Amino acid sequence: MSGGFNEIHEAPTTFWSKYIVSYDHKVIAKQFLWYAIFFLGVGGMMALMIRWTLAYPGQPFPIIGKLLLPSTGGVIPPDTYAMLFTLHGTIMIFYAITPLLIGAFGNYCIPLMIGARDMAFPLLNMLSFWFAALSGLILLASLFLPLGGAAGGWTSYPTLSTLIGSPGDGQTLWCLAIFVLGISSTMGAVNYITTVITLRAPGMGYFDMPLTVWGLWLTAILNAIFVPVLGAGVMLLLMDRMFGTTFFLAGASATAGSGDPVLFQHVFWIFGHPEVYILILPAWGIVSDLLSFFSRKPAFGAKATAMSMTAVTILSTLVYGHHMFTTQMSPLLTQSFMTLTMTISIPSAIFFANWLGTIWKGSIRFDSPMLFSLGVVFVFGLGGLTGLHLGTVTTDLYLHDTYFVVGHFHYTMAASVLLGGYAGIYFWFPKMFGRMMNEMMAKIHFWGTMIPLNGIFFGMLMVGYGGMHRRIYNPFVYDSLKRLIPINEMITISAILMGLFQIVFVVNFLYSLWKGKKAPSNPWNVGTLEWTIPSPPVHHNYDEIPVVKCGPHELGNPNLKNGRDFQYQTEELVKG
Amino acid sequence: MNFLNYGLSTSWFELSKPPLDISTNGHLIDSLWEYTTVLAIFYFVLVCIGLFGFSYLYSHKRNKTPYYTYGNKKSHLMVTALIGAAVFLSVDLNIARVANNDMLNVFWNYPDPKKEEVLRVQVMGQQWMWSFRYAGPDDQFGTADDIVSINDLRVPAKTKVLFHLTSKDVIHSFFVPNVRLKVDTIPGRITRVWWDANVPGTYDIACAEMCGTHHYLMKAQLTVYEKDDFNQWLATSAHIAKTTNDPADKNLQWGWKWEN
Amino acid sequence: MRRAELQGNLAMTVTLVSGAMLFITLFMGYAVYRTNAPFWPPLNIDKVPLTWPWISSMIIALSSWTCYQARSLAQKGEWKSAQLFSLFTIFCGLSFVGTQTLLWRDLKMSGIMVDSGVFASILYGFTWIHALHMVLGLGGLVFLHLTLLKVDSKNLYKVMNVERFWHFLGIVWAFMFAGLFLF
Repeated sequence: MSGGFNEIHEAPTTFWSKYIVSYDHKVIAKQFLWYAIFFLGVGGMMALMIRWTLAYPGQPFPIIGKLLLPSTGGVIPPDTYAMLFTLHGTIMIFYAITPLLIGAFGNYCIPLMIGARDMAFPLLNMLSFWFAALSGLILLASLFLPLGGAAGGWTSYPTLSTLIGSPGDGQTLWCLAIFVLGISSTMGAVNYITTVITLRAPGMGYFDMPLTVWGLWLTAILNAIFVPVLGAGVMLLLMDRMFGTTFFLAGASATAGSGDPVLFQHVFWIFGHPEVYILILPAWGIVSDLLSFFSRKPAFGAKATAMSMTAVTILSTLVYGHHMFTTQMSPLLTQSFMTLTMTISIPSAIFFANWLGTIWKGSIRFDSPMLFSLGVVFVFGLGGLTGLHLGTVTTDLYLHDTYFVVGHFHYTMAASVLLGGYAGIYFWFPKMFGRMMNEMMAKIHFWGTMIPLNGIFFGMLMVGYGGMHRRIYNPFVYDSLKRLIPINEMITISAILMGLFQIVFVVNFLYSLWKGKKAPSNPWNVGTLEWTIPSPPVHHNYDEIPVVKCGPHELGNPNLKNGRDFQYQTEELVKG
Repeated sequence: MNFLNYGLSTSWFELSKPPLDISTNGHLIDSLWEYTTVLAIFYFVLVCIGLFGFSYLYSHKRNKTPYYTYGNKKSHLMVTALIGAAVFLSVDLNIARVANNDMLNVFWNYPDPKKEEVLRVQVMGQQWMWSFRYAGPDDQFGTADDIVSINDLRVPAKTKVLFHLTSKDVIHSFFVPNVRLKVDTIPGRITRVWWDANVPGTYDIACAEMCGTHHYLMKAQLTVYEKDDFNQWLATSAHIAKTTNDPADKNLQWGWKWEN
Repeated sequence: MRRAELQGNLAMTVTLVSGAMLFITLFMGYAVYRTNAPFWPPLNIDKVPLTWPWISSMIIALSSWTCYQARSLAQKGEWKSAQLFSLFTIFCGLSFVGTQTLLWRDLKMSGIMVDSGVFASILYGFTWIHALHMVLGLGGLVFLHLTLLKVDSKNLYKVMNVERFWHFLGIVWAFMFAGLFLF
């Protein structure tokens, strides 16, 4: 193994070693990017099918319905519906957002932004992608089983996810896929943590790292600690399903000795709550950087932002119980989890203040990455604040497992992470592929995403407060929910609109890939290390390892005399 | 485009209000929700003022020279810290305190059947129906004279009702939107919930936890009677139960001894 | 410290933290089961045969010592004897896995089947997961032996990291032996 001596490796020459089993972090990042975009498409299509059923139950899904479900004439039956929302959640979280934010940006940005030639362990990095690919294959294969894929919800609570509730092999393959993906994530985490600690360019202290790297690094730490917890959980679940153990069986169906289904919930959420932050931290980092870059002034309180992100990381490990208020834990546990949950709002408020402080008195350029970043601030504000209702135990008694929860977590970890991901794509696309994306189409894409997105998720908050619970095939079997039909229709139409506007993105992406304007080495005029080298970078990134002399956000310094309004990190800070 | 017609006739704000609150304590949850929402809106408006206001005032067109600061001046740090503290003091501490009190004094402060008049009901969830069990004339659960009903819960108004719940197969969640309460039913465990309904009528009971393909059909009806009507129904049902309960029917034998 | 060395050590540390989290989760689950059970072991379970667990424990303790010897001899430059010790460690590792299979056979013979309740689930499940890691560890030991064959003191950090992983597996077994079998 060529364990990271930060030396120049020879560029591979064959197609196979260049694009398939490449050790190059930039190529692996692109592999993850394609992987993520593919699964975003699959997961998004599933979302549309779910939404269609909720607004027009019993009506055939238009256009492709007959193709996908010939036996029912295009109508989505209840068991397929259950499979759809299970896999929508699984795919979006583990196969779309994770590879996009952590796989693609993590791989691309970490070495470039800290001035390294590659990851610390390139082979491990390559394996990490191929394990993820294997896991994706297993999950997709489960769709073609006679009884279909997993259908117990992405949380797959036992005993529904044991043989009692899901006899098919879909759930078994689901567990296997998640376990394999866990191995891939752990490999990635080992690599990211080591890379950030050992391969920072000379002169770069931790607070000289861009906040993007901070976010990705904290994410990697959370991954290393908490993914194995889920690993243990799904391993036990697998044994229950395959070998007849009874870890999670209880009650009448556990003929021999009693296990404990609630234990899985504990294990799942010990992982699951940090997972929310695993997804959002890279987006926070990207947004913190981009707000500063496009306001042409240093990030406001960058150190405080980094510290708040760290504080949230630590707190996120202590609050998982708020997902389980309705299982009736002991009052003491409930009280502690509620109180700890509430404390998260302090660091959150601090970095919100810092974000707004960053654009305050700036000179704001509304390029597409900036628009998406501002969008993140907006939607994460809504998502974060609706979390208050759910972290409070009594209001949660009413709101738990309603669409209010669905709206809340989509705002926090779907909407904001997706917008953050788009911000990142529009921002780093020139560096990745050496071409600019079309700005006009990007802006259409932004508004076409942002407006329907709020229609969808705010609508979900509304129907949730109205009492509509989640994961139901046809809400209107309940007379009291019939009044919510119009709002559900509005949500579905918004979803279709949002889906259509993603086509603009795909077209823009593919068009710019081949026909886009050639990108200069620094199209956005920012000073972090990746912009000091040509776009796209050469195989070994840096001919000479850069020496860092100032922070990542040196913009708008009035003492600058050379006609630029920013400084590269390789330049000595200009003082008055 | 059904939704446009609705949209014109009734405001969506009205539509999305939760169903009628029929319990004595549901208003605690509603009022806390409103309090949280008002504060959330307040802070969200602040964020929006910052977001849209700054975007307008400090766009490149209007402001050519940015203010060069790291945001680490004393005044900056003070403002940041103040915002953090304000959020924590005004929102978090208050709602956590109120929720804690409500939880300990009301929702998890279960009535004691030995000390006051309480109707006891056992509930069992299974794929995909709810079974309810009343003690019957001998006041003992798990005996032959128990009144057992399926997907049909009837309770008296203005009386405390205490439920003990469990599940036969997978985890379900007993959700009664009209009393704002929800509790999981878990195989191998007994969970509890109580309420005091005071508006006679019929309402929906739903399963809120994904429990399989027909999760959406796992609904029951809640009927709240005036006390006299309820007693009459109970007497009739007890009579029917006595004459028709078949001791060999396994579906009727799921009750357990009531323990507090 | 050289960078490659630092990287190797860091990577092993992170791996060990991840591995520890996996087993901590399992032990946490065990604690929950055990504290909630009215009787432990459950009344329908006969005495768990302890012969093989004791032998396994001694073997794995021995292997930890030989692994330590292999590394410290290599550090002193006595490569030949280091190689001998590492071979012996591989042998111990293999015999540990062997004794585990005998343990499973014994459990079956005394009527504790995989599907006879959560007590049996824990005995089998946890030892399976540990054995799986032992197989990974054996792969590590083979790598260690190959590294020793190269006789290059630059690679000592790799030897040391495999040794750390091997000790980790030993410690996990010690907890399992004490928690699941002895007490």
